[in-house]
Amino acid sequence: MMAPARRRTARADQVFVTLMLAPSLLILAAFYLYPMASNVWFSLTDLSLMKLRQGGAYIGLANYADALGGADFWRVVWNTAFWLTAVSVVVRLVLGMALALLLNSAALLRLRLRTLMRLALLVPWATPPIVAVAVWRWLLHPQAGGINRALLWLGLTRHPIAFLADTATVWPAIVLIMVWNTVPVATLTLLAALQSVPRELSEAAALDGAGSVRIFRHVTLPHIMPTIMILAMLMTFWTFNNFVYVWLATGAGPGRYTDVLATEVYLRGFVDFNLGSSAAIGVIMAVAMGTFGLLYVRVLGRRVAS
Amino acid sequence: MRLARALLAGVVAALIVWGSAARATDLTLRFNDPEVKQLRAALDVFEQQNPGIHVKLEQMPWADVMPQTLRETAVGTGPDVMHIAFVWTKDLAAAGALLPLDKYIAADGGSSDYIAMDLATGRDGHAYAVPWTVDCWTMVYRTDLLTQAGVTAIPRTWEELRAASLKVHQVTGKIGFGFPAGSGATNTMWFIANYYWWNHGKALVVSKPGGGFGLGLDQSDIAGAIRYFADYLKQGDSPKSMLAINNWGDPAIIEAMASGEQAIAIMPPANFRQIVAAWRARNPNAGDPPLLSAVMPTELPTSVVNFGGRSLGINANTQHPDAAWKLVQFLKSKPIFTDYYTSQFPARKSMLSTLNFAPGMQGYAQQLQNARSWGPYSDGPVPINTMWNATGRAFGSAFIGELSVDQASEQLLSVIRKGLQ
Repeated sequence: MMAPARRRTARADQVFVTLMLAPSLLILAAFYLYPMASNVWFSLTDLSLMKLRQGGAYIGLANYADALGGADFWRVVWNTAFWLTAVSVVVRLVLGMALALLLNSAALLRLRLRTLMRLALLVPWATPPIVAVAVWRWLLHPQAGGINRALLWLGLTRHPIAFLADTATVWPAIVLIMVWNTVPVATLTLLAALQSVPRELSEAAALDGAGSVRIFRHVTLPHIMPTIMILAMLMTFWTFNNFVYVWLATGAGPGRYTDVLATEVYLRGFVDFNLGSSAAIGVIMAVAMGTFGLLYVRVLGRRVAS
Repeated sequence: MRLARALLAGVVAALIVWGSAARATDLTLRFNDPEVKQLRAALDVFEQQNPGIHVKLEQMPWADVMPQTLRETAVGTGPDVMHIAFVWTKDLAAAGALLPLDKYIAADGGSSDYIAMDLATGRDGHAYAVPWTVDCWTMVYRTDLLTQAGVTAIPRTWEELRAASLKVHQVTGKIGFGFPAGSGATNTMWFIANYYWWNHGKALVVSKPGGGFGLGLDQSDIAGAIRYFADYLKQGDSPKSMLAINNWGDPAIIEAMASGEQAIAIMPPANFRQIVAAWRARNPNAGDPPLLSAVMPTELPTSVVNFGGRSLGINANTQHPDAAWKLVQFLKSKPIFTDYYTSQFPARKSMLSTLNFAPGMQGYAQQLQNARSWGPYSDGPVPINTMWNATGRAFGSAFIGELSVDQASEQLLSVIRKGLQ
C-alpha cells in the first residue's frame, strides 16, 4: 500500500505532467486531429468548392464507392505505388549508396576532391523542387531543350523526343527529376551511417582475407541496415504523398498517364471543385500510408530484435 | 505653457494625420495578365485623379485564380476588384464571390454597349461583372510557306486545312499545322475541339427545347474530332513533340512561326502580335511580315468561335464598393486601351468599332463579328473547368494511345453526362 504522502506526491506529479503536456496536446489536437477529423467528415459529404459557405450534405460512403469503383482508380494507385514511389525510392537508395561510398572512399580523399564533391552534392538539394522541375522541363523541352539538342547533334536521334509527353519516357523523366533533386538526402544519411562503421571491423575482415565486396556485404551493410530501413520508410512516406514533381512536370498528363493519388486529390478538389471526393482520396492515401508504416515498423522491429 | 502648446499642436497634428489615414481607401486589384507594369502606370494616374484611394496591384497565374477566389469567398476575404475570365462569372456569382452591379451599370449608361454581357450576368439575372477585354481565336498562316508548298488559297474547311498542312510538310519539310496537343491540366485542346464541333454545326452542351441542358454530341462526333486531330500527329505534319506543348503561346510555337519552321497555327491576337514582333526583330528592314490571320475553317456559311475575354468584378466582401466601382470605371475607359493595356481589345462596341486592325489582323476583325458566347456551356451545371479538363485528358489519352479513340470519347461523354445529371 502506498503511503498517503507518497500518493499525494504521485498525484501532484501527475497533474504537473498533464499540465506540461497540455500545450503540446492542444497543438496536436488543433493542427492534426481536427483537420484529420474534418477531412474524414468532408469525405462523407458532397462538399463543393462552389458552396463552401453552405457546406456539404451527408452522402455516406458514396465518394469512396465512386473512387474505388472508378475505371482509372487502380491505374492511379499503380502509378503512385510503383512508378512514383517504389521505382524512385529504390533508385535513390541505390544511387545514394553508390555516391555515399564514393564520398567515403580513400581515393577521393587522396585526390582532395571530397569537400568539392560534398558541396556539389548539396546543390541539387538546395534547389527548391519548383525550380528543379522548371530547369528540367526546359532541359527536356522537345525544341529548345539542351538534351534534345545534344542528342540530335550526336546523331543519337533523328527527331526531338518529347520526354514529358511520350509514354515511353515520361515516367523515367519524372523519376530522373525527383532523383536529381532528392538523392543528396539519401547520400548524406548513408554517408553518416558509413562513417559510423568501426574501422577495426573492416580491417579485421581484410586481415582474414575478405575482399572489398565481401567486406561491404558482410560487415558494412549489416551495420548500416537500420539506417537504410528507416531511410526507405521515410522516403516512401515523402514520395507517396508527393504532388509537386508530377504536377509541375506533366500536370498528370499526357492524358492521364502520370496521374497519381496526390494529383487526383488536386484535380477532384480544385479542377472539378468536388472537395468531398477529393477528401475521400486523401483519406484513402492516409489509410494506405498508415497501414504501410505499421507493417514496416513491425517488420523492422522484428529484424532489429533478431 | 510653451510645452503644453507644443504638446497640443503635436496631438492635433497626429489626429489630422490619423484622420486622413483613416479616410484613405485602400483597394486591391487582382490582375492576371503579363502587362503589370503598364497597368501600374495607369493606376498611378487613377490615384492622382482620386486622392485618398490607393490601389494595390496583385498578380496571380490564371490557372489558380478560380479556386483561390472560391477559397477566399468562403472566409470573406479577397481583392476588391477582380480580373476574371468571361466564363467564370456565373459560377463565381453563384458561389457568392461577386457583388451585383446592376445599380452601378444602370447609373453608368446601361449595359447595351458591352460585348458578351450575357456572360457577365448571373443565373439569377443580375449583372455581376463588366466585360472588360474581348478577343477570339483565329488561324494564323505563314503565307510564304503556303506559297512555297503550292497552297494557293487560305483553307476554308477543315478538310482543306488538313490537306494544306500535309502539303506544306511534304513539299517543304516544315511543320504544317502545329497545334498545342498537350493535355496536362490545360485547356488548349478544349478550345480547338469546340471550334471543330461548332463549325460542324454541333456543340458539346446544348439547351434542351423544354428547358434544361443536354449533350449535343454523340460518341461518333467526339471520336471524329479526335481522329481528325490525331491524324496530324500520325502523319507528322504536326510533330509528336507538340504533345508536350500545353499552351497556344508556347515559345516553341511563337518561335517556329516567326522563323518560318511552321506554316499554320491557332491562337488569340496577343500571341499573333508576339509572332509579328519576333519576325520584325529578325527582319528589321523587311516590309510587311508574311503572316496572316484568317477565320476558323468551317462547314457552315459563317465561321464560329467563342468570345474570349475578361471581365472585371467586384468582391462581394469589399468594404469599399463605391471606390471599387470608381476603379472599374477608370479601367474600362478608352485611354487604358490606347495608352496602357494596348495588347487587348476593349469589350465595348463603341470602342471596338473605332479600332483600326492591321492588315494581318483582319482575320480577327472578321472572326469577332461571328463570335458567340459559351451560352449553354456556362449556363449549364457542369463547371467549365471540369469540361476542359475532361476534354483535354480524353484527346491526350487517345493521342498517346493510352486509350482507344472510342474509349476516350466514351470517357469524355460519361464525365459530361454525369455532370449534367
